[in-house]
Amino acid sequence: MSKKECIAMLLAGGQGSRLGALTRGIAKPAVSFGGKYRIIDFALSNCSNSGIGTVGVLTQYKPYLLHSYIGTGEAWNLDERGGGVSILPPYATETGGSWYEGTADAVYQNIGYIELNDPEYVLILSGDQLYRMDYHKMLDSHIAHDADLTISVMPVAWEEASRFGIITKDEDDRVLKFTEKPTKPDSNLASMGIYIFKADLLLAALKEDAIDQQSEHDFGKDIIPKLLGDGKRLYTYEFNGFWRDVGTIASFHETSMSLLGEQPEFDLYSKDFPIMSNASTRPPHYVGPNGEVTDCLIANGSRVYGTVKHSILSIDSYVGERATVEDSVLLPGARVKDGAHVVRAILGENSVVEENVNLGSVDQTKDTAVIGDDVVVGKGEE
Amino acid sequence: MARAIGLITTNYSTKNPSALTEERPVASLPYLGRYRLIDFPLSNMVNAGIRTVGVVMPYNYRSLIDHVGSGKDWSLDRKNGGLFVLPGTAFGTSRTGARFLLRDIEHNKVFLERDTAPYVVCSASNIVCNVDYHALIDAHEASGADITVLCQSADGADEDITKFDVNDGRVCGVSHGVGFGDTAFLDCFVISRDLLLNLLEWFSAVDYLDLFEALQNDFQRFDVRPFMFEGYAAGIFNVRSYFRHSMDLLNPSIDDQLFMPGRPVLTKAHDNPPAKYERGSHVCNSLVSAGCRIRGAVSDSVLGRGVIVESGATVRNSIVMQSCVIKSGARVENAIVDRNNVIPARTELRGTPEAVLVKGKGEVTE
Repeated sequence: MSKKECIAMLLAGGQGSRLGALTRGIAKPAVSFGGKYRIIDFALSNCSNSGIGTVGVLTQYKPYLLHSYIGTGEAWNLDERGGGVSILPPYATETGGSWYEGTADAVYQNIGYIELNDPEYVLILSGDQLYRMDYHKMLDSHIAHDADLTISVMPVAWEEASRFGIITKDEDDRVLKFTEKPTKPDSNLASMGIYIFKADLLLAALKEDAIDQQSEHDFGKDIIPKLLGDGKRLYTYEFNGFWRDVGTIASFHETSMSLLGEQPEFDLYSKDFPIMSNASTRPPHYVGPNGEVTDCLIANGSRVYGTVKHSILSIDSYVGERATVEDSVLLPGARVKDGAHVVRAILGENSVVEENVNLGSVDQTKDTAVIGDDVVVGKGEE
Repeated sequence: MARAIGLITTNYSTKNPSALTEERPVASLPYLGRYRLIDFPLSNMVNAGIRTVGVVMPYNYRSLIDHVGSGKDWSLDRKNGGLFVLPGTAFGTSRTGARFLLRDIEHNKVFLERDTAPYVVCSASNIVCNVDYHALIDAHEASGADITVLCQSADGADEDITKFDVNDGRVCGVSHGVGFGDTAFLDCFVISRDLLLNLLEWFSAVDYLDLFEALQNDFQRFDVRPFMFEGYAAGIFNVRSYFRHSMDLLNPSIDDQLFMPGRPVLTKAHDNPPAKYERGSHVCNSLVSAGCRIRGAVSDSVLGRGVIVESGATVRNSIVMQSCVIKSGARVENAIVDRNNVIPARTELRGTPEAVLVKGKGEVTE
């Protein structure tokens, strides 16, 4: 295989346990988002739009849907000869096999894949974040700084800073200090979990980390502090734009809602940087004679006979006569039957809200209602 | 071994040209927001497990090639078999309307000779339907007929549809135009590959004819039998039938006959986000495609991909194709607006239900 400039290692093995019912049967990167997408579409589209044609996708937790969805990578123009998407689940060797124990361990176990491709740089990504980013600009910055490691960062609200890996940098963007989830942050620049390494340095660091008994084999907790301590050249690349890690039901709901409105925070309509997906081919959606739709995103294959406000209807959703849906997200195939009322809720794939059932509450102090995939909510069960 | 290969013909013009077919063959006429007519025969073939499909091209093939490409969206970009783009014969010398021009098939004999599948399913591309070709081939095998033609009992008069006279389950005559209750040909048939090759040879002197015209006097010799299809089928031959059969789909029970879980209608994939409705939009009894952005009012209409309806604009009883912009305060009524048109603010584009207005392709680039 010829030498490549940069390949991506996309970490997509996470369970996303805080998404509860939405990840009971599928991995977090496979969770449906924005009507016709799945979360991993964003990272894969970013790779494609950035000209990175070799992407290893590291999977582990409940991978079937994810594997079949990614397929050959064709939907993201990543079915390239001598590259493209490779799915990398844990595997066994003559000395046995083991699960991926941490982000760094997952990449360490696939060192062979990196060596096979022999790139100069390796981009490490997470498959469960929503953003649009040209990685090639980050790579340019990495090369310009002659950095060993470049960490993509963004300013966050100070009160949120203790949830992230926080970076203090000098005027030349060189990293001075990195603290994972600090209790008293002295900076509000957060690591986005997007890294570009010089490939040789990454391989050496991973091998060293693998034999360290004290290590948790995590990029943020172990690899970065070690490299910083060793005096390596760590730089930041500042990103200013929409970026979300939808870790919880509340943030999933809030992030979904941010796609709505006249001036949405995240604009899906950009033509020069399209978000691509492997959505199934369905006919245009239908709004019935008594349908009323306002402030919504509605995907193909849906049918709306009732009233839908400020909501997202994914592929093949259904809202029956006299039913109302408000401030909610219907994932693919979800059905709200005649006369049912759904407010501030997330309905899992192919879930059903039976006739005349009331689900959810307008009371903002209450949690967003969540119905798992394939669950049927009948009268008296709401 | 594959049971059948497919052959789709597109090299014929409509008798009723309009602005819609000025720059494109009927096969690539946009339909129902996101489809083109050829998607239906192509998907029917793929859904029946046919993995080798030849498409006989018309002279103005640009939009058709652009649409089918390598056949990827129909899983026809294959190592063995797949999509074959076949040249049609010189256009303009043939009469309009011949759906299975012998010369078109004759010139591509090599496509038929190189395969080993026992049957060939042939289809034209004017008729929208979702048919299980497996059942068609099964019936063909079971009856032992030479040719099995896909037919439907006509629900009204249509001069563009071919009529078969049927006697005791066998076709005994063919003519143009059907009336209510006649056996209407859905321009699709199955035949053994060997017999088709033989027919091409026998009829080589009259290769300017349609296959069924050539067979006209031979229905004694050849056992041609109809296979009756009960589902929705819509022949699209002129602006009127195009409009009417687009509006048919505003009835979800008809949609269900075209779009079903086991037999998806496949088409070229685009990366359009879901349609977006802003505050104040008012939409009813309409089909809306991905990528649309709606601030105005839309009723009894079909919107293609990426159509923008600005605030205060009204679209009624109309078909608006891909990438059109209906500016603020504009009114579109009883009209077909071909792709890339901008309807300026506070202007009107209005036909009548009896005489739908057609606005040809616009110049906007995406």
